[in-house]
Amino acid sequence: MNARTITHAQLAALVTDLVAAGTAVTAPARAADGRLDYRHVARLEDAVLGGGLPRLSLKALFLPPTEPLFSFRLSGPDVAIDSVPTSFPPHVVLGAVPCDAAGVQALDKVMDWDYRDELWFGRREATTIVSVACSSRDEACFCGATGGGPTATRGADLLLVPLEGGFAVEVVTPKGEAFVAVHEERFGSAPNEADVARSRATLTGSRVEPVAPLAPVTAWLADHFEDPLWADVALRCHGCGACASVCPTCHCFDIVDEPEGVTHGTRRRNWDTCQAGRFTLHASGHNPRADQHVRFRQRVMHKFSIYPARFGELLCTGCGRCSRACPGGMDLPEVLRTIAERAAAPAGGAA
Amino acid sequence: MNLYEPYLARVTELVDETPDTRTLRLAFQEPELARTFDFKAGQFGEYTAFGAGECTFCIASSPTRTGYIECSFKTVGKATTALRALNVGDTMGFRGPYGNHFPLERMEGSSLVFIAGGIGLAPVRSVIWNALDLRDRFKNVTIVYGARSVSDLVYKRELAEWAARPDVTLRQTVDPGGETADWTGDVGFVPAIVEKAAPSAANAYAIVCGPPVMIKYTLPVLTKLGFAADRIYTTLENRMKCGIGKCGRCNIGPVYVCKDGPVFTAEEMAKLPQEF
Repeated sequence: MNARTITHAQLAALVTDLVAAGTAVTAPARAADGRLDYRHVARLEDAVLGGGLPRLSLKALFLPPTEPLFSFRLSGPDVAIDSVPTSFPPHVVLGAVPCDAAGVQALDKVMDWDYRDELWFGRREATTIVSVACSSRDEACFCGATGGGPTATRGADLLLVPLEGGFAVEVVTPKGEAFVAVHEERFGSAPNEADVARSRATLTGSRVEPVAPLAPVTAWLADHFEDPLWADVALRCHGCGACASVCPTCHCFDIVDEPEGVTHGTRRRNWDTCQAGRFTLHASGHNPRADQHVRFRQRVMHKFSIYPARFGELLCTGCGRCSRACPGGMDLPEVLRTIAERAAAPAGGAA
Repeated sequence: MNLYEPYLARVTELVDETPDTRTLRLAFQEPELARTFDFKAGQFGEYTAFGAGECTFCIASSPTRTGYIECSFKTVGKATTALRALNVGDTMGFRGPYGNHFPLERMEGSSLVFIAGGIGLAPVRSVIWNALDLRDRFKNVTIVYGARSVSDLVYKRELAEWAARPDVTLRQTVDPGGETADWTGDVGFVPAIVEKAAPSAANAYAIVCGPPVMIKYTLPVLTKLGFAADRIYTTLENRMKCGIGKCGRCNIGPVYVCKDGPVFTAEEMAKLPQEF
């Protein structure tokens, strides 16, 4: 699909157009404490494009931390259910970080595995994701190891690559193409390819990925469910679940009823985490994952072994948020490096 | 309507099986659904007590008995306490049927050996009635059922019915100390009674359900009797929320109990990581 350009002024006008037409625009923006969050913006000036990783990932836009599944009304022996809508108003995400857009696409698989989650896909279909090439990295980043990168387009409908005075617009999906067509007057002609190549090279040239290729890690995990390594690497894990809450791909949830008085209530889906001790606790008191290190193993297995085995892709985009958020100093890239070393070691181990 | 919305059903009958175990019979309120609802023995569902939440149980009735489904549960937590508070005529919710099933179609022409402990009889009962309602398609039917004590035996009326049938061999047992003065069944743990009953493994399938410790000690007995690991079926239970492979709770390694199970052969179980 043909690349286009957009100047800062055109992009500002586009945001104004969208908001005026009633389309919500979500972009990385500064919160009062100075940190970046994906928030609704009314004008381009409020958005921070290419300014780094927002505090929480894009996941919350499609799988909210808490959302109603339906409401119910009780009247004597009778119950009436009030459904929630499964179609959503149009929404544009402007300035998604590539690793976050990739996370959303990775989750499409589990959300459409025989049973199609209408709430997830209702939001997915209503939303156009415009990623912006990433120009910030820190020592926790490892997107390159997961198949991503500063200009990766996975999960994006459009990708903006910075140019002097604006951006080159890479059209990734038919949805992105349709979006450009609707807002044709806000886009310029094709960019100069040499300029785009130079910009891309600047963004990717400085990357040093801290993790070895992950294929051997996935292979090792497949037959090392039981291994002394797990107890070792998880010693600092408190089981708080901060990693899961900031993760673009952790999607485990709980389903609970919230009574509203005696006769009304709402069933809600809330984020949950496999790192919590009660996550797998049976009513009988039996807990298949009674120790913290087996819960940590579950997180690593799910991302790098179970999900690839079931769905053909990693459940990790290398954003590094888990390492940054961990109060115990757990570092997923370090764990992956340790596993990669084990995988590379000759059979028979330490000797 | 979305995936997580339950069907509404009315409680049409309740039976107290033991002091803490109750069976509910549910009839779907939507007439078309009540007419067309179908499932296979071994499948499970999410049962709602509105305001308290959902819990996961197998469907305890047989697919051959249409117009209703049944569940049997022990009162343990919040949702089961609320389910127990329901009376005949009250509304509850059901999502399902989910998961795989006991492949009864594959067992036609064979003998069936049912082994259950405690409330583990619930999923087995679904298969037993399914098979008994199609009795001429199966050879010998043997049932070994045990509980901690006589008062812990569930489905007592049906046990009496099976005991009276000439085409069913029933061995009932209670744990030592759990017998009453008028108890005429065996006294001893289920694995030992299976060994004593010694059902023939020739052209037979075994269906085993009960507490983990019962399953653990019954499998070697079945092996000794000559049952191949791919002819022994059981069900696994793990905590579930969605029941449809999304909430990430019931995995045992790469296996999703809600979608790959809940029915597994002993052969499949042996390959699972020890995390259940």
